Parts: sequence; structure tokens; C-alpha cells
Amino acid sequence: MSVAVEFPVARSRTGTTDVITRVVIYVALAMMLVYLLLPVFWMIKSSFQSNFEIQRIPPLWLPSNITWKPYENAGLLIPMWRYIFNSLFVSAVTAFVASGISCTAAYVLARFRFPGATLILALILITQLVPPITRVFPVYFLIQSMGMLNTYFGLIFAYVGFSVPFAVLLLRGYFQTSCPPELEEAAMMDGCTHFSAFWRVILPISLPGIAAVTIFTFLNAWNDFLWASLLLSSGEMKTIQVGIGEFATEGGSTEYQNAFMAACVVSTLPALILFFFVQRWLVGGLTAGAVKA
Amino acid sequence: MNEKNLFCYIMVAPALVVTLLLGIYPMLTSMFISFRSYDLLNVQERGSHWVGLRNYFTVFADERFVQTVMQTILFTVLAVAISVVMGLFLAQVINVKFRGLSVVRTLILVPWFVPPAVASVIWIWLLNTDLSPINALLRDVGWIDANIRFMTDSRTWGPISIPMMAIVAVRVWNGLPFIIIFILAGLQSVPKDYYEAAEIDGANIVQKFFYVTLPTLKPVLLILLALLFMGGIGHFEMNFIMTGGGPRNLTNVMAVYAYNQGFLFFKFDVAAAASGVILMMTSVICVFYLWAQSRDDLR
Repeated sequence: MSVAVEFPVARSRTGTTDVITRVVIYVALAMMLVYLLLPVFWMIKSSFQSNFEIQRIPPLWLPSNITWKPYENAGLLIPMWRYIFNSLFVSAVTAFVASGISCTAAYVLARFRFPGATLILALILITQLVPPITRVFPVYFLIQSMGMLNTYFGLIFAYVGFSVPFAVLLLRGYFQTSCPPELEEAAMMDGCTHFSAFWRVILPISLPGIAAVTIFTFLNAWNDFLWASLLLSSGEMKTIQVGIGEFATEGGSTEYQNAFMAACVVSTLPALILFFFVQRWLVGGLTAGAVKA
Repeated sequence: MNEKNLFCYIMVAPALVVTLLLGIYPMLTSMFISFRSYDLLNVQERGSHWVGLRNYFTVFADERFVQTVMQTILFTVLAVAISVVMGLFLAQVINVKFRGLSVVRTLILVPWFVPPAVASVIWIWLLNTDLSPINALLRDVGWIDANIRFMTDSRTWGPISIPMMAIVAVRVWNGLPFIIIFILAGLQSVPKDYYEAAEIDGANIVQKFFYVTLPTLKPVLLILLALLFMGGIGHFEMNFIMTGGGPRNLTNVMAVYAYNQGFLFFKFDVAAAASGVILMMTSVICVFYLWAQSRDDLR
């Protein structure tokens, strides 16, 4: 779908002002692309350089010869693969559980009017909007009192709690916009109960939306630093974000910068791969839920 | 209770329970603690009791907290303003069909792939005083004589300092793709005829942007601004990882202050008061957001 914003494609009128505007636009675009891409380029470049070369002043813009050594060393620097496994496990279970309990809630909140529905929706919206730092301390004590500090289950429990509001709002938007109510009405006519209409009719046709929400939930958990650094912070149990973040704050990164950058590249890959899959839903799915929550 | 309502409650119950347990209850408890004394180091012998607003007086009497509040507001306003202006521009660019569009679009979205913790550490490396390519480039061009110390320079211009600007740059960098996608969705609902009408009246690119695009995007932008301000007020990761609030407290924000009061100094009452201030500031924006939403729904 093309919308008629008339730049940067030239058309009919080529007044001087429009030419100047267009030049300004191109220059601005080029500068912004440099800003957006330079850090990623620098990370990848550094991860292929030897540790000697990386320390050269002035810095080289391209590696003089590409070496895979940093990738081999990254695992020695921090237990990277274990951390990545921790992250993958915690995020995957979170995504699965959270989207499961969210889609039932989102469905009834999108479809039915029942006493308290507005209140429930308001509570969910408030939880989603208020920054996580405002509930850090009680959640920490709650998980501690349940004896779940430094267990996968504790962090998963916390993540599920924080993902559910987001997932409910997104899925509610999805059920409202792309899931016709005639379907389950027809199913009910055929003698289905409310639940079997949901289970047999709505759920199967909503799988694309639920899959998108599952992936977004996964990514939110994968990206998190704050909760993981509090609830799962000891030794081998750390998630990759905490492993990388703490390695940097402890100041240990200057010594083996190339291996550290290699670890960063590897820990960016899972999100990159997932984003590749969700691209289709990005504009529609994400914003439909967020704008019309 | 009829069968339909029972069904609804059963379906919504698990989600409601986790929301109450991990969202609403902690938020209220945090408010509750902020009116009590709760110093983990002596809570055993002295216990915890009501102190009214004392914790709030304590934080506002702390010069560093006042400085931190100002910096949080500055940080949020700058990050939101810069990223929304850039977002508006880039969303327009990828909303137009031209050769190489899919490449440009993918490139613009790249920072989204990078988790905030990783974004922080690659920027720390990129902004390393001696080894930064930016410093090398600026020296080659001859704009600077001495390397810019991005993360450690403690000179200030009012509440503005170089490390603060560096963290704003990282925040904008990481958050920009989401903003672009959000605005893009709004742009695609601007009717084509509006532009054609403006064109017949002889409007140029800039006029079309200010008289057609911006007014039609207003509802989307209001909601986006509310979301970004709420996120900005409670922002934590980058300041914590990149500088820990330093040098000389110049990059401290409220969330990092609260975190340190709690988990570094074990003054959970003071920490709760600091997060109470965050809660109040976001509530104001939240009310505005809900108002904008409901007005939007009525139309």
C-alpha cells in the first residue's frame, strides 16, 4: 500500500524549495542510518579482530584479517552457553504459560460483558503501564518468602506475572479485530458449550495471533535485565543478559574485548532469528493491540 | 450466577490472579512500606512502624535525589523528543515506495534485535575514550583536539553532561524501531485524498507534513507520548549498566536511585519512597493516557 507522501520520490513539481528539502532529507537519512548501524557494525567488527589489533590507536575500521578465535574464547570468559540455555529455557516456559493463560482471559474480555470486566481490564492496564521498578521490592520479598530465589521457577513465575497484562491487551485487540463473533455463535447453535466453542473453533483460527504474542512474550523475557539480575543472580543460573551486563559493570570487559563482543553477537542472534519470523505481524499485530488496547 | 458469567470468571481467573499477585499487590505493598520505617539492617530489633511522610521528607532532603529527579525528567524529555522527531521522519521515509525500501526498512529496525543489556555494553565499547571510532573520526576532521570522554567527563552545563547525553543516545537508539513501527501504523491510516487536496492547493513537502500528516497523527502520537513518558520515568537498565549513575551522580535516574537504596544500602523504606515518587509521576501520565484512550474509543 503506497501512501502519497511525496518524498523521496520526485514527482511533477520541482521547485527549488522542494529540491533543497529533498537534499536535506537524504542527508538526514544517511546520518541516521550511520547512527543506527555503527554500533552493530562495531560490535561485529570487533568480534572478528585479534585482541592486539583491537587495542590499536587509532582504531581500524575493518579487521586486517578475520579470526574466529574470539568466538572460541567467549565461552571461556563467561559460561556463555550455559547462560544462553538458562535464558532460552526461562523465556520459552514463560512465553508458553503466559500466552496460555492470557488467551483465555483476552477472549472473554474481548467478547463478553460480565460484572467486573471493566475493573479487571483496568487493573491489567495499570499493571502494564506502571514501570516495573515500582514493584521491585515486594516482588523480591514475595519470591524470597516462597523460597524461589535463584530457581528457574521463581523467575518464570515473575515473568509470567509481568507478561500477562501485555499479552492480554495485545490478544484482546486481536480477538476484537480479526476474529468474527459469528463463528462461535454458529458453533453454539450447533450445541457447543461456551468452552468448547472457544476450544474447538476460536483457538484454532487464532493461532497466528497467539503465536505472535508468544514470540513477543518470549522476547520480553529474553531482553529483561532487571528481574533476572535480582531473582536469578548466582553463579551458573544467570541469564545471558545478566551475565553480559554484570561482566561489563565489573569492569572485566576491557581485557578481552574481542571475545566479549563475540558473546554479544551470539546473544543477539536468537532475538534476530525470532524477529525474522514475527516481521509479518509487526505492524498489524503489535500496534493493533497497543493503540486500541 | 448464570453459566455464561461462570465461564467468563473461570477463563479470566488465572490471568487475574497473577496480575493481582505480581502487579497490583506489590504496587500497593510498596506504597505501604513507603509510609513505614523499614531498614533491613535494624528491622529485626527495632521492627517496622508507621512514620507518616518521613521517608518522603528523607528523599527530598537528599540533594542527590533532587538532582536525580531533575535528571530523570531531563533524560525522559530529551529521549522522547529526539526519538519521536526521528521516528516521525524515518516512518515517513519507509512509508514511501522506492527502490531499496526493504533494505532500508530492515536496516532501520536493526537496533530492535539488540537486547538493552547488550546495547549498553556495545555502546560502552563504541564510546571507549581512547578506542572510539567517533573520537578518531572527529580528530581526523579536526573538530576536536582531545578525545571526548563520553562516559567519564564530569563537566556540566546545568543538568546536562556528556555521559547523560551518551545514555540518551543509547536509549533513543534502542527504542527507535518500536516508535517507527508505531508511527508507521498511524501513517497508513491517513487518507490519501488529504494529500491530493493539499497538493492541489500547492502545498510543498514541509507544509503537507505540518498541515496534513501531523494533525491526522495526533491521537496516535498522544498515546505514544504517554507510553514513552511512562517508560522513561521508570527507565533503569542503561543507566545502571553503563555508568551506575556516575560520574558524580550525573547520570543517575530515579529507578537506579531506588534500586541502590534498596539492594545496596538495604534502606527499603527510602527506596519505597523513591519508587512512590516514580509511581506518582507515572500515575499523572497514566490518567492522561486513559483519558486519551477513552476519548478515542468514544469516537
